[in-house]
Amino acid sequence: MTVLFSRVITRISGTPRKTLFGCPQHCQSLVFSTSCLSSTDSNPKGDALLQEKVDPFSLVADEISLVSKRLRSSAVAKVPELASAAGYLFKEGVEGKRTCSTVLLLMATAMDIHRSESPLNCIGNTLRIIELRRRQQLIAEITEMIHVASLIHDDVLDDADTRRGIGSLNSVVGNKLAVLAGDFLLFRALGALASLKNTVVVSLLVTAVENLVTGETMQMAATIEQHCSMEYYMQKTYYKTASLISNSCKAIALLSDQTPGVAMLAFEYGKNLGLAYQFIDDILDFTGTSASLGKGSLSDIRQGIITAPILFAMEEFPQLQAVIEQGFNNPANVDTALEYLWKSHGIQRTRELATKHANLAAAAIDSLPESSSMDVRFSLQAYDKNFLINFVILDQ
Amino acid sequence: MARAALLCLLRHRTAAATSTSPLSTYRCQLKTSNSKTPAAGVGRASFCRPFSSKAAVNDVIGMDFANTDSGVAVMEGKERLDPFSLVADELSVIASRLRSMVVVEVPNLASAAEYFFKIGVEGKRFRPTVLLLMATALNVHVPELPPAGVGDTLPTDLRTCQQRIAEITEMIHVASLLHDDVLDDADKRRGVGSLNAVTGNKLAVLAGDFLLSRACLALASLKNTEVVTLIATVVENLVTGETMQLTTASKQRFSMEYYMQKTYNKTASLLSNSCKSIAILAGHTAEVAMLAFEYGKNLGLAFQLIDDVLDFTGTSASLGKGSLSDIRHGIITAPILFAMEEFPQLRAVVDQGFDNPANVDIALEYLGKSSGIQRTKELAMKHANLAAAAIDSLPESDDEDVIRSRQALVDLTQRVITRNK
Repeated sequence: MTVLFSRVITRISGTPRKTLFGCPQHCQSLVFSTSCLSSTDSNPKGDALLQEKVDPFSLVADEISLVSKRLRSSAVAKVPELASAAGYLFKEGVEGKRTCSTVLLLMATAMDIHRSESPLNCIGNTLRIIELRRRQQLIAEITEMIHVASLIHDDVLDDADTRRGIGSLNSVVGNKLAVLAGDFLLFRALGALASLKNTVVVSLLVTAVENLVTGETMQMAATIEQHCSMEYYMQKTYYKTASLISNSCKAIALLSDQTPGVAMLAFEYGKNLGLAYQFIDDILDFTGTSASLGKGSLSDIRQGIITAPILFAMEEFPQLQAVIEQGFNNPANVDTALEYLWKSHGIQRTRELATKHANLAAAAIDSLPESSSMDVRFSLQAYDKNFLINFVILDQ
Repeated sequence: MARAALLCLLRHRTAAATSTSPLSTYRCQLKTSNSKTPAAGVGRASFCRPFSSKAAVNDVIGMDFANTDSGVAVMEGKERLDPFSLVADELSVIASRLRSMVVVEVPNLASAAEYFFKIGVEGKRFRPTVLLLMATALNVHVPELPPAGVGDTLPTDLRTCQQRIAEITEMIHVASLLHDDVLDDADKRRGVGSLNAVTGNKLAVLAGDFLLSRACLALASLKNTEVVTLIATVVENLVTGETMQLTTASKQRFSMEYYMQKTYNKTASLLSNSCKSIAILAGHTAEVAMLAFEYGKNLGLAFQLIDDVLDFTGTSASLGKGSLSDIRHGIITAPILFAMEEFPQLRAVVDQGFDNPANVDIALEYLGKSSGIQRTKELAMKHANLAAAAIDSLPESDDEDVIRSRQALVDLTQRVITRNK
């Protein structure tokens, strides 16, 4: 499925790896034809060029703009400096690709279709649907706020200079105000969460918040053994990257009054999507885009962050561990590690791992109960399924 | 002395004074050298905030000292119940729960966060005491039971939920201290920074985040979205207050209104909203919840105002014996604001800033001539009385425990303003 792989690889390799959903706006360069009701693609590995595909982002683009607008206006505060710091990464042009929000809104649509017919009358139905959608959009906003808050703190922790193509918040307003702004956003999100008056949803997202912190501390405080452990890495990756999207997907499902089984499928989708995304991220940090093969930014390894490709390489070349122990302040070690990497199947195996998780995500969507509804949304369902699947499957 | 450490907890959080901030003490530990010893000689060696007559510029949980100070029980000629002893047992349960809540898989972080909850650092816990007393004080028969799912309505569960509020507010308070202590590059460059400072910075951010996230988890476990909203507001207020202090434009520094707003944000909001949460968890009406809110708010404000005074006067009644840390950091507090109303020329001095110690002396002169200290005390008294009035307005109860707790709460309002440390 070249479609999604090419989408993924246009992410500039210089993008800080932690911006899972922060791809610069101008990366949305993929052009897709947007036919409305073409037949679904039952062969996910078919050649994109031969078939018309709808860009998943365009499906919910209007809604995404709405969400972004609301985010901008939500970062209000009595103190102007705080307001501008909190809203810094919501500014137009800096919102990132908003992948997370897109996925959540698509998931919301998928959830609505799959629920059983409501006995309510037509008008009541419509109002309920609108209200529900509004609540689900709020989840998207909340998730984005949590995500940005964690990005802001991560940048303080990493002393990062740039984020999403502009100066990082800490480099512009200082560490302290950046930390405070992150706190502000986080608890603004919590307040919004409370307004949904659904304690299960609150618990889900609060768990995600706690996971984010745990993931970050796992990364910062790992021993050498832990750095070299695939299990540790997977756990950390789940916490740092996948937990937020998995829990928000589940929240979306629960807001739609879906059964726990369906909610779990939504969770599995989000989790595997997030993991697959991260593994590709890891690869790109080494390989760069197809245009600059072999010239990845290498920012992970230079910071001493050991990712899946290296971990796989270590299985084949145990001597790599010694290099890792020496650390990567010395560029020679980076070169040595890269040598081992290219000799090994590290990249390949990481790609396989990503594919495996992408397939798991697709399977979760396929397992959603069918809807017997014959209205227009039924067609959309097919697209949704497709796009959610297509989003992650990679080209071999 | 019991009174002395009583309310030393709710102090200004100013720019990090490296000698007394909890984090820098932790940093000292990292360097394995500790130049600060508790002046009073009470309490554990290295982790206690140094105890002195100086107003603390940063708030730790307070000093540990023996509970056997019988002088506390007999005060001003009449026998009064020590508010703290009323809830001491419950508090130690909460303290150990807090400690176990902080356990994580990552040892580094645990030690940073746990530092604040170590036995011996806790001393008298003002905020949790207020909250637990409030919980008892509100323990009247509620005509309408809270809706199903809210704390399960069993009395024991309700109390546990209310205790959880005390834990949550403590975690949030400590987290905000940690985050307020984050250094900017400017500070690092001035030589304040070292490897430990940098590491300390990261740990400060992480440990604070960790505490905040755990507080969120605990909040969610209460299954009450109204309480979540209240506590979320608290953190927003804390951040706003700190930012107000960080970024004050000069005009606003002269405004009493701005100052009171900032004080509410930084100090009183935590108390007011957590008191209100206690009431809400118990299923009380909006009116009662508001009374609890007013108590917390006015108590917090009164406390802070006296704090301002003590920063100038110290333990003696005369001026200039306090630590003067506020004014030295350029933080303009109520006494100076009042003095400026009487002596507008003081404004010019304030504008010049207080890096020059001569300006501090000039300001003190004006302050001494003015009735700034007096008026601040009067304002504190006014708020203390408002707090007491809120308690008096609570719905009647014959229950002994309830009556005793309410008396203790009123008692606290007096202690807040009559303390001299």
